[in-house]
Amino acid sequence: MTRPGKASSAVPAADLAPLAARVLPWVLLAVLAAFPLLAPVLGLEYWLGFVRRLLIVMIAATSLNFILGYGGMAALGHAGFIGVGAYTVVALVDAGVGSAWLAWGAALAASALAAAAIGALSLRTRGVYFLMITLAFAQMLYYLAVSLSAYGGDDGYGLYTPLALGAGIDTGDEAVFFWVVLAIAALVFALFSRIAASRFGHALMGIRDNETRMSALGYPVFRLKLAAFAGAGALAGLAGALLASHNAFVSPSLMHWTESATLLVMVVLGGLGRRWGAPLGVAVWLVLAEVLKLHTEYWHWPLGLLLITVVFLAPRGLAALFARAGRAA
Amino acid sequence: MDSIFVIEQLLNGLGYGLMLFLLAAGLSLVFGIMDTMNLAHGSLYMAGAYIAARAHEAGAGFATAVLAAVAATVVIAFLLEQAIVRRLYARDHLAQVIATFGVILIADDVVKAIWGPSPVMAAMPAALAGPVQLLPELPYPAYRLLLIGVGLLVALGLYLLVSHTRIGMLVRAGASNRGMAELMGVRVGRVFSFVFVLGAALAALAGALMGPISAVQIGMGEAILIPALVVIVIGGIGSVRGAFVAALLVGMVDTAGRAFLPPALRAVLPPALAAELGAALAGIAMYLLMAAVLILKPAGLFPARG
Amino acid sequence: MSASLFSAQGLVKRFGGLVATDHVDLAVEAGEIHALIGPNGAGKSTVVNLISGLLAPDAGRIVLDGVELTGMPAHRRVRHGLSRCFQVTSVFGANTVFDNLLLAVQAHTGSSFRCLGRRSADTRLHARALALAHELGLADVLHRVAAALPHGVQRRLDLALALAAEPRLLLLDEPMAGMGPEDSAQMVALIRSLRERCAILLIEHDMDAVFQLADRITVLASGRVLATGEVGDIRAHPEVQAVYLGSEAAA
Repeated sequence: MTRPGKASSAVPAADLAPLAARVLPWVLLAVLAAFPLLAPVLGLEYWLGFVRRLLIVMIAATSLNFILGYGGMAALGHAGFIGVGAYTVVALVDAGVGSAWLAWGAALAASALAAAAIGALSLRTRGVYFLMITLAFAQMLYYLAVSLSAYGGDDGYGLYTPLALGAGIDTGDEAVFFWVVLAIAALVFALFSRIAASRFGHALMGIRDNETRMSALGYPVFRLKLAAFAGAGALAGLAGALLASHNAFVSPSLMHWTESATLLVMVVLGGLGRRWGAPLGVAVWLVLAEVLKLHTEYWHWPLGLLLITVVFLAPRGLAALFARAGRAA
Repeated sequence: MDSIFVIEQLLNGLGYGLMLFLLAAGLSLVFGIMDTMNLAHGSLYMAGAYIAARAHEAGAGFATAVLAAVAATVVIAFLLEQAIVRRLYARDHLAQVIATFGVILIADDVVKAIWGPSPVMAAMPAALAGPVQLLPELPYPAYRLLLIGVGLLVALGLYLLVSHTRIGMLVRAGASNRGMAELMGVRVGRVFSFVFVLGAALAALAGALMGPISAVQIGMGEAILIPALVVIVIGGIGSVRGAFVAALLVGMVDTAGRAFLPPALRAVLPPALAAELGAALAGIAMYLLMAAVLILKPAGLFPARG
Repeated sequence: MSASLFSAQGLVKRFGGLVATDHVDLAVEAGEIHALIGPNGAGKSTVVNLISGLLAPDAGRIVLDGVELTGMPAHRRVRHGLSRCFQVTSVFGANTVFDNLLLAVQAHTGSSFRCLGRRSADTRLHARALALAHELGLADVLHRVAAALPHGVQRRLDLALALAAEPRLLLLDEPMAGMGPEDSAQMVALIRSLRERCAILLIEHDMDAVFQLADRITVLASGRVLATGEVGDIRAHPEVQAVYLGSEAAA
């Protein structure tokens, strides 16, 4: 690899970066997998549930990053699909279904369908109008959930029996469910990385950059966007289903518009259209919120200040900041 | 359902619609002229409600309290525009959404720090607490009539301002063609500040007036923001006329949905189902309206830009 | 008429009260370079957008090689052999030239809904993109970011993107716009070399280029066809001279 005429006493930093990028995810995965075992030793039991929630939110945020960061679709209703997934689980449990495979599979399917229907209507609009129409549909889902008195309406619905995965996996066990969530989150992230590098991912980014040109190149722009939107909705629904099990409780507040906005905020904070943007944004946002909550009842304003700071000082998000720092090193 | 009930509900819808208009007018102008999505508009509404309620409680007359709330909010809005919002005009909508969402988070904590976390009871002015006999059979709360009166007056004032004054001409020019306005030598920065502060004053007025008939609490800004956004999208972003029509439409649809849908459904469906379906449909009526408008007319009813 | 490779018959497009395209008939033969000219505001761009499917006509039909394209969305017209360039250079500025070409080739090499295989592993795609780069003289700048390239090279890339579809009819909307004489001369040579591959409908302001390249010319004025015919006939056409030169002089 050494180039003639160049001193090669040390490995150039530029050659280290891709190596680190390949190794780091596995290190991260190993640390996370060991966490349920380490937490009791380190006195961090409290954080086990927290990290699990973080992983679930990452799934939803990654799906939003896919349509927003890669597809240029600024949707403000993503929490609606989380809700569809969660309420699908509620409906099945209420009907006596106990299989996690069935419940989570149905949540995927139901939210994919909901997203396909909403996308088919919404994707005819652009920009702010798209933002608003996706918000409107999420609000409809919210009020629909509020009116479902069979599932507790406003008060929500408790899920007291853990879903069964079979093969001796007890999702009721804190650590076991953590590993299940970790496996699913890792799978979703790998899938997302794969799709981003696929023909579909490249087509989507082309649409983000210049829709008219893509259409003139022969791409079925509308159908590609719709497929991405439905797929992202499905993954958000999966996150909703996991969140239902995680909280052992589902209420319409999952779908409140501020939840959609927060998801959007986390993705932008982390870095739109960057592979690690969503996980980074979710981690920074939720950890900060959690730590602040432990110390003060006024934990909103520092987050607000962070957002304003990021918009003005790091408009491409934290992931871009890290990438720059990595290049400079 | 007798006709008295219907008239009463229509008046309620009109009052709510006019208050929505006060909020939406500023939001729509800021959006139309500065191409800026300001989620913190609801926080200005909240500021108006809190300041008026507290000033009234502290002994100020109701009118004085309302005016004080508007004045104080104008100052807050001016500072907000200078410090943050004006730096967002040139940014994309997503950046605006994120930054103004940040402002919401800060505003909620500031309100909590000053006035505490629990809701505040805003008292009605004593003179207007009772009903007025509109028709022999129809008593109607005097305070709600005041809302309608003030709302109509402000709408008229805004119409005159926008269509008959020099500043209004600049505002319209800015909304329909910003580049042209700049070419004509309009001092765009000042027009922007003026419009932002004017919108804030209207939002504060709406908040102060709505206080006694709604809950003055943290989060009230976020709750009212969404209907206001629905209004400007239905009306066509940047159009004051569109905001007026859409606000009345949304006010009516929302109120009528809640009042008439459950009883109407009860006539054809089992009571339990009717109650549930009625509540759901009433909640989503305005969103259905917006989705329908956008699917048929993607730029709203009265697009400001040709 | 029916033997033509491409024909547009009775195209009408109204914007409110304004008739932008007024019963325009146009035919392009196989192997032909057909120029569409006219003074500013004659409605040339509207015609291009109607043909390529960015706008829907109020009346008229469009047929390419026996296939009715009227009412077809833009991307399906491309599949049927009708490709276009834009008046304003329309490349993916943040991407490299190679990525631009890959994207264009991908549209016609397999499904873009495939989402599990890495695109970088698709050798067929790479080979075709590379071939295209060589044909259009872009091999030297393959890994440069498109936005950083000189204007003339960007236009060439734009043309390459349109050619990836292997069109039977290529619409070129003012390919020489904003070019210096040297770039223009290169572009003229390039367009001439494309004659072998496909028929071309050329919209152009640069009359020198038009007279060098075109086999036939159609003149548009106020949304209507003023004249159509061989280059010599059009040059000598008194009405064309009056309208065209008159308006140009005034503008």
